[in-house]
Amino acid sequence: MRRALKVLTINCVCPPAIRQQEVAGIRSKFPNKIPVIIERYDREKFLPPLDKTKFLVPHELTMTQFVTIIRNRMSLLPTQAFYLLIDGSGLASMSLTMAQVYREHQDDDGFLYITYASQEMFGHSKPL
Amino acid sequence: MNSVSPSAAQYKGGMMQEEAVESRRPLPMERQDSSGLRTLQTLSASGESGEPDEIDKLKAKLMSAWNNVKYGWTVKTKTSFNKLSPVTVLGQSYLLNSEDEVERFRLAFVSRVWLTYRREFPQLEGSTWTTDCGWGCMLRSGQMLLAQGLLVHLMPRDWAWPDAQQLTDVDFEVFRPRSPARAGGVPIPSFGSPRGSNSPEKSTNQAPKCSQRKRPESVKDRRAEPIHQRLVTWFGDQPPAAFGIHQLVEIGKSSGKKAGDWYGPSIVAHILRKAVAKTPVVQNLAVYVAQDCTVYKEDVVRLCDQSLNRTLVDEFSPLWKSVIILVPVRLGGETLNPSYIDCVKSLLKLDCCIGIIGGKPKHSLYFIGFQDEQLLYLDPHYCQPVVDMTQTDFPLDSFHCSAPKKMPFNRMDPSCTIGFYAKNKKDFESLCSAVSTALSSSNEKYPIFTFVEGQGHDYGLESHSSSHTHNPVAHILPRGKLGQCNNRRSSDEFVFL
Repeated sequence: MRRALKVLTINCVCPPAIRQQEVAGIRSKFPNKIPVIIERYDREKFLPPLDKTKFLVPHELTMTQFVTIIRNRMSLLPTQAFYLLIDGSGLASMSLTMAQVYREHQDDDGFLYITYASQEMFGHSKPL
Repeated sequence: MNSVSPSAAQYKGGMMQEEAVESRRPLPMERQDSSGLRTLQTLSASGESGEPDEIDKLKAKLMSAWNNVKYGWTVKTKTSFNKLSPVTVLGQSYLLNSEDEVERFRLAFVSRVWLTYRREFPQLEGSTWTTDCGWGCMLRSGQMLLAQGLLVHLMPRDWAWPDAQQLTDVDFEVFRPRSPARAGGVPIPSFGSPRGSNSPEKSTNQAPKCSQRKRPESVKDRRAEPIHQRLVTWFGDQPPAAFGIHQLVEIGKSSGKKAGDWYGPSIVAHILRKAVAKTPVVQNLAVYVAQDCTVYKEDVVRLCDQSLNRTLVDEFSPLWKSVIILVPVRLGGETLNPSYIDCVKSLLKLDCCIGIIGGKPKHSLYFIGFQDEQLLYLDPHYCQPVVDMTQTDFPLDSFHCSAPKKMPFNRMDPSCTIGFYAKNKKDFESLCSAVSTALSSSNEKYPIFTFVEGQGHDYGLESHSSSHTHNPVAHILPRGKLGQCNNRRSSDEFVFL
């Protein structure tokens, strides 16, 4: 899923080599920040799209704090379902720091790709 | 059309239920027939008692069967269980190679409260709906999860329903490894029936054990029947019922839901939390819903420890409330991440687990166990007429399911809510450690969710959520702008956190 998303939103306009250059540039400029691309799950129906998708995040920020920041940017209520999926399918442990997640899951181009999604709803097609 | 559901014969509604059960019982050979045929047999059997309006009833039944197909009831005649590997049901395991074990499994399965679509109930306020057929399945699954929590909260330990029906539409087979073709299925010959309908037919590889002895607990179980009956009334389809569809839909309005909408496992978890907090019928029970896959232990303690938040001195209330912990999760993107399957199994093996509400895509189910690579579930997609609960001894048959069903793990929708129950403080401590151990059994490096010491606001949850009230500008893209790639390549397109 991650690949598909990237093709849709990023890759369509920047080839990988350019993304790599971009990451190298930003890393040298801000060595204590991690470049993160956060994308909306392509079938998401409830959560709004973010106005910005590229983030520079401090190493020591925990996933809990990161989730809270993104939730607040979307003005979500605490009870609204919101999940970050790393590599398209795995949940990240909330106690991890961004540096730990980045070390494990950074893409070849140097970005960390995170997808956000709520939950699916269940029901059948409406009766006649 | 062979489309009558397995339990159709059982659920004829109202007065017919007793009769249906009776007429189904003594016919072991009919189990080999298609279920459609069986319903007709049952009908003719009940026709002998001289009912004048059989044709109308037949019509009603065929309509009801059609409705159930329309609303997603799985038209599958039989569920096969492997005799060689254990079935887990909410923390207990059963190896179905002896009559005793099959009997224990039957009691464990049939004693769970089954809540399904209902029709012809009082109109839901603010709508024209008098049925939840087609949309209420997730609410029904949520009700079943809560009912299970209430069973362990209120009923004696290891309680079983003394009037539990015989299992229907099951096969117990020996699945030989390496042979995809199943060995000859042995239809279940009414194992260990308390009604004494022992079939002479026996399958060859059963342990020669007598199944007729009574459970020593049966007296205790019988004594608990009034509580069981009362518990079911709380889920009645009437506006005043504490956990009925009317209340749940009403509570859901504050989350922007209304009658006829589809619900998700996380929303339902919060609806259940509010319903339990609101009602006087259940004392000393609280529901905690985890946020962002994290259970903040101090928040649970604050919810449960009555000595902390007692305003009125009440000598009779215990110092610690029991708690149902609900954890909404998303175990993958479009499909279930297979590396979580072992973890889900480990959770369902725990005594403290009260099940999982989730389902197949668009089709909610209440998962209560598993065998091998298949989940065992109760399915709410069966449209039954509303039951009049004004009589104290209203029939309970339509609130228990006799036909266990299974589905492969890989069809499980990743969105679900996992439920746990802890009776007291000590239970809660052991729950935390048992669940943490089960969570670390996943192949996936990171657990599905975690227990954390302290409170949510220690981790900045509340300070942030309060700050956004001062700053109502949300950083979200206005509708219609999605897909416009912003392609400036400089650091100013990055957001600094």
